[in-house]
Amino acid sequence: MRSNGRSRPLTRAGLALIIVLLLGVARTDGQSVEELQQELKAMKTQLQQLQKKMEKQEELIETLSKQKTPAPALAAPAAAPTAAVVAAPPTPSAEQEQLEKRVTENIIQKIQPSLAAANKTFPAQFNPAIGLIIDTVGSYQENGGGNFEFRSAEIGISANIDPFARGYAIFNGTNDGVEVEEAAIVTTSLPYNLTVKGGRFFADFGRLSKFHDHDLPFVNRPQVLDTFVGGESQADGVELSYLAPLDQYLTLTLGAYNKMGADNTQVDNNVPRALSRFTYLVHPATFINLNDSNSIDLGLNLAYTPRVETFTTDDMEAGNNKGRYLADLDITFRYVPLSQAQYRGLIWGTELLFNGEDWNVGDQETPVFHSEGAFGVYSYLEARLTRRYYPGFMFNWQQALDRQQGDVTTYNPYFTIWLSEFQRLRLQYTYFTAPSDHQSQFFLQWTAVLGSHVHGFRDR
Amino acid sequence: MKRSLLIITVLSILCSGAHAADKIRVVTTIPDLADMTRQIGGDLVEVNSIATGVEDIHAVPMKPSFAVLLNKADVVVLLGLEAEHAFLPALLEAARNPRILRDAPGYIDASVYITPLEVPSRIDRALGDQHPMGNPHYNVDPVMGKAAARAIADGLSRNYPEHAATFKQNLDRYLAKLDAAIARWEAEAAPLKGKKLVSYHPDLVYFAERFGMEPEGTIEIRAGVDPTPGHIAELEERMRREKVDIVVRELHYPAGLAETVAQATGAKLVELPVMAGGSPETRDYISFIDYNVRTMLKAVQGGA
Repeated sequence: MRSNGRSRPLTRAGLALIIVLLLGVARTDGQSVEELQQELKAMKTQLQQLQKKMEKQEELIETLSKQKTPAPALAAPAAAPTAAVVAAPPTPSAEQEQLEKRVTENIIQKIQPSLAAANKTFPAQFNPAIGLIIDTVGSYQENGGGNFEFRSAEIGISANIDPFARGYAIFNGTNDGVEVEEAAIVTTSLPYNLTVKGGRFFADFGRLSKFHDHDLPFVNRPQVLDTFVGGESQADGVELSYLAPLDQYLTLTLGAYNKMGADNTQVDNNVPRALSRFTYLVHPATFINLNDSNSIDLGLNLAYTPRVETFTTDDMEAGNNKGRYLADLDITFRYVPLSQAQYRGLIWGTELLFNGEDWNVGDQETPVFHSEGAFGVYSYLEARLTRRYYPGFMFNWQQALDRQQGDVTTYNPYFTIWLSEFQRLRLQYTYFTAPSDHQSQFFLQWTAVLGSHVHGFRDR
Repeated sequence: MKRSLLIITVLSILCSGAHAADKIRVVTTIPDLADMTRQIGGDLVEVNSIATGVEDIHAVPMKPSFAVLLNKADVVVLLGLEAEHAFLPALLEAARNPRILRDAPGYIDASVYITPLEVPSRIDRALGDQHPMGNPHYNVDPVMGKAAARAIADGLSRNYPEHAATFKQNLDRYLAKLDAAIARWEAEAAPLKGKKLVSYHPDLVYFAERFGMEPEGTIEIRAGVDPTPGHIAELEERMRREKVDIVVRELHYPAGLAETVAQATGAKLVELPVMAGGSPETRDYISFIDYNVRTMLKAVQGGA
């Protein structure tokens, strides 16, 4: 039980009085009456002072009790009033109250900037995240002269659509105009580890085909990807991706597209077509974690178009309503020491491609279509020396798709300087060699990111 | 028949994750949170951390194997305040696990009870790699650690109300342990009061605030931006003027420059982890804070 606040001072007063009386009786023997009277008077005065002090304390306790007695809790269980009284916290003193007030004021003062910042952005809360990437290149080619090339200004926006999907779009402004480079809807909550993507997007083919130009490790996309895939693996279509429920990372992507390749002019993107004229993709991929610092990404890609309508490119006919196979093996080795990931590392990336389709090896009047297979490969090695400096070397070799011309080889040493995470300079030298063309090329690329940026899984 | 048996065997090996099906599978972003979750969840949880503790939290490699971990997770526990922006959003997307997507019940943000420091009043890339919600490196302050532990317990209880009493009991026990340690650290750390420090990145702001130290800038020109020679010259001049006592090199930053700055200014160089597991002595959260306090004290009191 909690003690009554008034009882303790009264008990103390009573005890004091008894002690005083006992002392008085005990000391009467050896003292004069006058001395005893004086002492008794002094004691009386002391007792009066003590009584006054006690009254004041009682008044103070009563006042504080009235101010601080908490209102009975409405939700408290009626059956256990005693327990509620026992559990009630002790009444805080005035000092405690002041301390609490100071702490509260201090906290409010500290969080005020974040509250203000939140209020400032509130009207735009539902706007998608927006970012702009500027990519510009100055180049000099031995056989072609110099050029300042405004390569692109790319606006990217992205946001969740609802609890079931997110959307993103990338608009690319170049010297040729503005185009929708990607605009896609991606599911976020399908069961069975499935994801569906639909719209225009970079098909999940290979590794660097999915990178935007400004995200590449070098100035220009490897020529083998330009020739075999058609540059970026842009496609209008749908993709279904599955993550196997295993301890080992294993994904399988299936896709169906009008065509694949942003610069693929072999197929018209804007006309309806038979199912046999779509391009279909199968792409299993896995990841091998060798240890904390070393890992390998591995992917196998097959894009198959059952019947390619006859088309003409570089005065060569191809297609012949036969199938086209485009296969790609991508392998990426990474050395990233965990404690130095910002400024040390090594990456080796390679893609080996094979293209098989029918080509007219005769002439226009007497066509002789023949199935030709062509190989191509690029491989690069890039070191991370510091947080700023990334030197690298990329090698590219490819056969002509129709096998009627000689091979093309390029050697590309480059050096990237990250001024910050959002601004980058890159120097690259390219030695280009083809049967009728051998030349040196020099590039200086300057790339910057404004606004929102994301670290995407596919760009790793 | 033989082929079927082989397939079943291979699948059994690959699907070996089923061994802990009865436990709550928790993935945390850093070991500090993993330790707290183990303390609070006890035998009910199986915890994996994405980072090992030696990494820079802003540069944790985005490995596909982490997507597998997250795919199987019942809850994810993160430091929050956008500390993990470089890897967690993309991994969550790759993990295809709607239970732990942002703002889903299984997304446990340990920062919800934190009073953040250094909340920017202006968001501008010219000011560096800003965190709009405030400095996210609060785990170096044990009092903030208590707030994180409370958030974890609440998050687990929200997802598993049937175990709420156990989580509460374990939390109270852990907080009592932390309180005792905090009282000791605060007493021991008295000599740190008023000492000035420069760190590579603003990782030590909460530590400084807790123990009365005064941050006097960073080696980085702005958070996330490498220093220029001009900045270093200006920093060294300011450090001499302000009589800065300590240069902290967080262990995931290069050694050379921090050493040079310390030597040039006469400040003591202190090398500290910023997460549990960041050095061999910091196997859990309490030993991590303990190590940092003692290492800092040793430097201030003239030790090695």
